[in-house]
Amino acid sequence: MSEVDMAVIKPEMMKSYIWIQTSDGAIQQVEQEVAMFCPMICQEVIHKGMGSSKNCAVSLPQRVSPAMFSLILDYCRFHQVPGRSNKERKSFDEKFVRMDTKRLCELTSAADSLQLKPLVDLTSRALARIIEGKTPEEIREIFHLPDDLTEEEKLEPLKNTTDDPRIRLLNRLYAKKRKELKEREKLKDVEAEEDHVDDRSVDDLLSFINGGEDSKGIKTSKNKKKHRKRKDLQKCAPSNEAIETHKKESNTVSSLCHNVGVDQKLKSSLGETLKLQDAADEVFAPTVEFDDVDIDDEIDPALKEEIDREVEDFARILNSDWPERMQELLSLGQERRPTHLSVNGNGALKGHGSMPSFPL
Amino acid sequence: MDMELDRISSLPGHVVDQILSVLPIRDAVRTSNLSRKWRYKWSHIPHLVFDTQCISITSEDQTIVKNKLVNIIDHVLLLHNGPIYKFKLSHRDLLGVSDIDRWILHLSRGSTKEFVLEIWKGQRYKLPSCLYSFENLIHLELFNCLLKPPLAFKGFRNLKSLDLQHVTLAQEVFENLISSCSLLERLTLMNFDGFTHLKINAPNLQFFDVGGIFDDVSFENTFLLTLVSIGLYVNGINDRNVSRGSSSKLLRFFVNLPHIRRLEIQSYFIKYLAIGKIPSRLPKSCVDLNYISIRINFNDLEENSVAFCLLRSCPNLQEIEMLGRPEEQAAVGPLADFWGDDHWKCLFGQLRLVKIAGISGIGSELDCIKFLLSNSPVLEQMTVKPASSEGGWELVKELLRFRRASIHAEVIYLEP
Repeated sequence: MSEVDMAVIKPEMMKSYIWIQTSDGAIQQVEQEVAMFCPMICQEVIHKGMGSSKNCAVSLPQRVSPAMFSLILDYCRFHQVPGRSNKERKSFDEKFVRMDTKRLCELTSAADSLQLKPLVDLTSRALARIIEGKTPEEIREIFHLPDDLTEEEKLEPLKNTTDDPRIRLLNRLYAKKRKELKEREKLKDVEAEEDHVDDRSVDDLLSFINGGEDSKGIKTSKNKKKHRKRKDLQKCAPSNEAIETHKKESNTVSSLCHNVGVDQKLKSSLGETLKLQDAADEVFAPTVEFDDVDIDDEIDPALKEEIDREVEDFARILNSDWPERMQELLSLGQERRPTHLSVNGNGALKGHGSMPSFPL
Repeated sequence: MDMELDRISSLPGHVVDQILSVLPIRDAVRTSNLSRKWRYKWSHIPHLVFDTQCISITSEDQTIVKNKLVNIIDHVLLLHNGPIYKFKLSHRDLLGVSDIDRWILHLSRGSTKEFVLEIWKGQRYKLPSCLYSFENLIHLELFNCLLKPPLAFKGFRNLKSLDLQHVTLAQEVFENLISSCSLLERLTLMNFDGFTHLKINAPNLQFFDVGGIFDDVSFENTFLLTLVSIGLYVNGINDRNVSRGSSSKLLRFFVNLPHIRRLEIQSYFIKYLAIGKIPSRLPKSCVDLNYISIRINFNDLEENSVAFCLLRSCPNLQEIEMLGRPEEQAAVGPLADFWGDDHWKCLFGQLRLVKIAGISGIGSELDCIKFLLSNSPVLEQMTVKPASSEGGWELVKELLRFRRASIHAEVIYLEP
């Protein structure tokens, strides 16, 4: 508009404009009420007096590209009109965020630097909707994330709380791979392990006697500590037949022991529930990942049944012949110091954390 | 090149937190498997929500489900790194109270601002004493809990919103709780026991929603209270109270609610208001009241008197809702001519919308409708919905006849 034209127009029709400079250096005028919808611009104008002329244009932060700014202006232009109904606004918002993820991320970043919270909320929710329910591979592809975790790190079990068959399959594969990796490492340590295993099995029997009480206490922290010590010993190495059965047995047996304060050396792996299925589930990785509570698929079902039966028989025997059995077992494991001996129901022994009251 | 394309990882921390907070906890935690940068991003999310939707564990055995749930929450809490502003626990399979105690203890060491705990099954869960040391608590929501704070408890200084449903607490505990949380703005109480006298001393209270069994309601210092919704779930007002000629509950109720804007009288609360001498109008009009909803037995003289007193004392009503109690109306004989009495005119200068429901077309109901129609010059719409389709046609015939003060008024009959 030329100067002359402007003079003819009635004063009330003159809109105020704010001068804004985008990151590419270009300067433009934006209607005041639209621009002031952005808190950052608002602050610049009010507190610093910028934007009144071309020379002191409000300069936008780096993260706001001209294209994004134009989108944001569209958003502001719509929402700053007071008379709109909630339904209208919602419908506009829904259409507004329909764009590819790259632009969505840019828009979020731009909105954030202009402190336009409603738009940040809108775009964040849109991004969350994209992420929700997708597998890591899918998410990586959509957002172009580098796949830079090592195989080991990736194989740490996922936290799987659904029964999604794909995830179970994935976890099974991961678990197998993990086993293979570990077994390659441990082939050397077989000798040392065997000794440990022998001792452990007795201790496990002992701890089996100890256990059986309902565990309401803080097991998890205890178990974690135990786990660290046993890190190299805990896993089943399928190729090592000798160890395998023992380990599996002790795994399952110890899973029956819910005992709270059992000596660390007695435990091999976690068993948080009484169900044998979950015995091998609670593999606690030392770093970040959680346990996959569904790795019951690790143990071959037939073998599992066999172990179940053995353990049940064992349990029955133990529970019936309490004092004689105790003597027998204790004489086997003379070196080991039995710590907590508490009995569920049948026996008379009680007391966590104290020496047993019967003669050794 | 990938670095350029990967824009989401470089978003500012608080924005990523926001995105992850909106995700169900499972998805949020799984982002740790995406890439190196994303390993620990989830551990800063300020909201932790563990509910039946977020965590779905399907298994027949209760023990397994419960243990998995406990396991998950333990892991998340332990691996989480940063302040937890909102914590919600509401899973239908949640039992094991010692676990919850432990988690509350963990939270009490931080600065949790919003705490929601819903125990779906079993008896009332007694909250551990460490809950009462949540200094920064702004919103507290409890379902099926027992509150017994330690003697030294001085209230939640920052609490603005309190929602207690199916709770047990002693009378003094309740009174102290309300009066010591001086910033309280919203209070919801549903189905409570252990106390029967609702003594509300809350200078900042704006919203009050209560439904349960109680003997008395009294407000003190509640000048900001604008929205009140009360339901009394027991139909059996002690006869002793009535005969004692006690002071009017209706008067007492309104004496400290000068700025009330919305009032909902639900269930049998109107019977409570009918106790004592019922005035013909309140000493001070409720000039700010623009919405009223009353559940009423149109055949009961006292209830109608209360309703009438209220309507007369609220000149600026914009919306009225009257809901009948059809199961009761048959018991007492029809109340003749209560509303039809000609000298009971009052002007509803602002009334635009009226909703009548649960009626059966008896005399006093129709009189009330006639009364409202002839005293509302700017009425735009009245909807009438009977309780059953019996006698619907008769009702419509009557409605058709009524004179309307407002030329714009629409009277709409809705199917039951």
